[in-house]
Amino acid sequence: MTFEHIVFYAISLILLVSGLLVVTVKNPVKAALFLILCFVSGAALWLLLEAEFLALTLILVYVGAVMVLFLFVVMMLDINIAEMREGFVRYLPVGGVVAVLMMLEMAMILASSKTGLVERSHPVSHGADYSNTAEIGSVLYTDYVYPFEIASVLLVVAIVAAIALTMRKRPQTKKQTPSRQIATRAGDRLRMVDLKSEKKQP
Amino acid sequence: MILLSDYLVLGAILFSISVVGIFLNRKNLVVLLMAIELMLLAVNINFVAASHFLNDISGQVFVFFILTVAAAESAIGLAILIVVFRNRKTINVEEIDSLKG
Amino acid sequence: MEFQIPDFAPAYPEIFLLCMAGAVLLLDLFLGKRFRNLAYGLSIASLLATIAMIIGSSQQATTFNGMFLRDLMGDILKIAVMLFTIMVFIYSRIYQQDRHIFKGEYFVLALTAVLGMMVMISAGNMLLLYLGLELLSLSLYSLIAMRRDSLHATEAAMKYFILGALASGILLYGMSMIYVTTGTLDLAQIHAAIRTGDSANLVLSLGLVFVVVAIGFKLGAVPFHMWVPDVYQGSPTSVTLFLGSAPKLAAFAMLMRLLVGGLENMSGQWQQMLIILALFSIGFGNIVAIAQTNMKRMLAYSAISHVGFFLLGVLSATPDGYAASMFYILVYGFMTLGSFGMILLLSNKDSESDMIANFKGMFSAHPLYALVMTLLMVSMAGIPPLIGFNAKLAVINALVESRLYWVAVVAVLFSVVGAFYYLRIVKFMYFDQPGEAIRLNGGMEMHTLLTINALALILGLPWIGWLIRICNSALAQLS
Repeated sequence: MTFEHIVFYAISLILLVSGLLVVTVKNPVKAALFLILCFVSGAALWLLLEAEFLALTLILVYVGAVMVLFLFVVMMLDINIAEMREGFVRYLPVGGVVAVLMMLEMAMILASSKTGLVERSHPVSHGADYSNTAEIGSVLYTDYVYPFEIASVLLVVAIVAAIALTMRKRPQTKKQTPSRQIATRAGDRLRMVDLKSEKKQP
Repeated sequence: MILLSDYLVLGAILFSISVVGIFLNRKNLVVLLMAIELMLLAVNINFVAASHFLNDISGQVFVFFILTVAAAESAIGLAILIVVFRNRKTINVEEIDSLKG
Repeated sequence: MEFQIPDFAPAYPEIFLLCMAGAVLLLDLFLGKRFRNLAYGLSIASLLATIAMIIGSSQQATTFNGMFLRDLMGDILKIAVMLFTIMVFIYSRIYQQDRHIFKGEYFVLALTAVLGMMVMISAGNMLLLYLGLELLSLSLYSLIAMRRDSLHATEAAMKYFILGALASGILLYGMSMIYVTTGTLDLAQIHAAIRTGDSANLVLSLGLVFVVVAIGFKLGAVPFHMWVPDVYQGSPTSVTLFLGSAPKLAAFAMLMRLLVGGLENMSGQWQQMLIILALFSIGFGNIVAIAQTNMKRMLAYSAISHVGFFLLGVLSATPDGYAASMFYILVYGFMTLGSFGMILLLSNKDSESDMIANFKGMFSAHPLYALVMTLLMVSMAGIPPLIGFNAKLAVINALVESRLYWVAVVAVLFSVVGAFYYLRIVKFMYFDQPGEAIRLNGGMEMHTLLTINALALILGLPWIGWLIRICNSALAQLS
């Protein structure tokens, strides 16, 4: 039991427990917060695997952007929590049995010694002068330039779609029209009216 | 030493948890979306571990793209969720059943 | 590190289409509402131009480090995808205008969906298969939800999104298993890494199971079909038209690239899985379709059964079988366009007209369109002499050549059952009295194209042999 082992098992435990809580906890806000814990422990595991760039990206993109978006939506929508829980217990036995069976089966296949994974794996521990970011960057813009461009199209689609789906033109919103403000003349705003001076009533 | 299969088993357990989450949370669309994010995390752990143990960078590049796509996907998913909520005032899946036949 | 600028030439059609999608987006933004017809015209023109570019530069090439494959199969599928999309645009113009979804974003998202399909069709790498699939799916989800004040449409979008995202997750898990065992994402290298003896490798089999399940979800094969009827019915008919036709071609390309191009040496295993998917789909789809009263739902179940039929050709695991499948899916897409086009023709501002009863008495009111619908339905049922029959025959032939006799027998039996509900519509049109006056919608260009679409199913017969030969030579190149 080396130090590495202890770290691995501790983080894995946190990851699995918080993952389980994401799908079982009552309140969606808490679920989102547990999901953040999942991502953070996932990032820690990736650091253990020397994938530093992705570990930081996971924190920045997921915890920083996606989960904040989730929290925004959860709090914006007025969700009735009690109603959400109905049926949970009803599905629990079936869902639980299916999941446990699936887990056992997959784990048995993956952990068996006949897979040949151990023979073919030859992890290299890099020194302090190794830059994971540089290595990913050097292939990302050369060998992977085509998928990179496709991913950028995907992000454009997401922007277009999100705006097209949710933007509403509200008739009651008040907004400025700068061109009209500039083009205005004093005559439009101020009207000189001739009034006869009032005579003081005797 | 920690083996590749340890990470893969971890990924498998996390994947199963997210599947059971999708089963159990049929009523709550937001948690459903979160379970899908969890599923992608399990897949990403597999890829990163394989990339490290096989000493091949392409697995990490794949994860980079999965992260990008998943961000776009959840943006669209939440947009659709908001549109549904505006129409129905609920995100309870079992009330969303006007399509039946 | 040595780096050479990749050869962009084989990808010029994709690059051009992407530029045009951007142009449509910007033009629509700056020109606004009055120029909607410009976006419509420009989208069709750019698709036509892309088709011309593909025909003009047809070649066999590999570029971007083997991530982009250009071959005859890809070229044919891309041309078909774009032709189908043009037909979708023309069929749905009036329908969209009536429902205020004739927007610039609609065309942009449809063009990016086409781009996603093109990426999938020419993918030589698992990464590109995934990215193309997501580009297609994200565009489709938002196209459905575009009619955002409609309960049905937004619900359909939500359902499609959840199951689509689940399927993507499953697909990725399968891909990660394949990557773990082969150590590469490149499909050609995966093909080289898997030897026939490796089929005993359980991790690889696990990956294969996940991949097949994900493809089953995306295609809507039983038992992963539950989203199909709801999404077909709930989506605006103009979008159902699109998602029922062109994406099926992309799914075929995905099957070919992944199962044949990458995992061909596992064919013994995926053959077994596909037999189950195919036979359940044919049986279930055809039987449940009989009970439907809604036309879109009926066509959805019919789509499930057709997907099963097209999987039959793939599972024969011979180049002839693949070619038969490709021919089948091309013909099926063409027939689906016509059938949903008929629903669009009957729909108007106030009503979707998507019930089967809406077709009652069609013959006395509009004999020409009764004939059009008859041709479409008879061809879907696979009754000679229409092209739908030739497509089914090609698939059955391939099965017999692979000595899968019992599968062929079961498939034929269920298609006989399936003929019933198609012919029921013909009976409604000719022998029943119309419930209310049937008004036809749509412009001149739609009416012409729809008639051509149906007539091609019988007048195109002399060219059938030529088309099948092209499919054969395309698939011969692949393996």
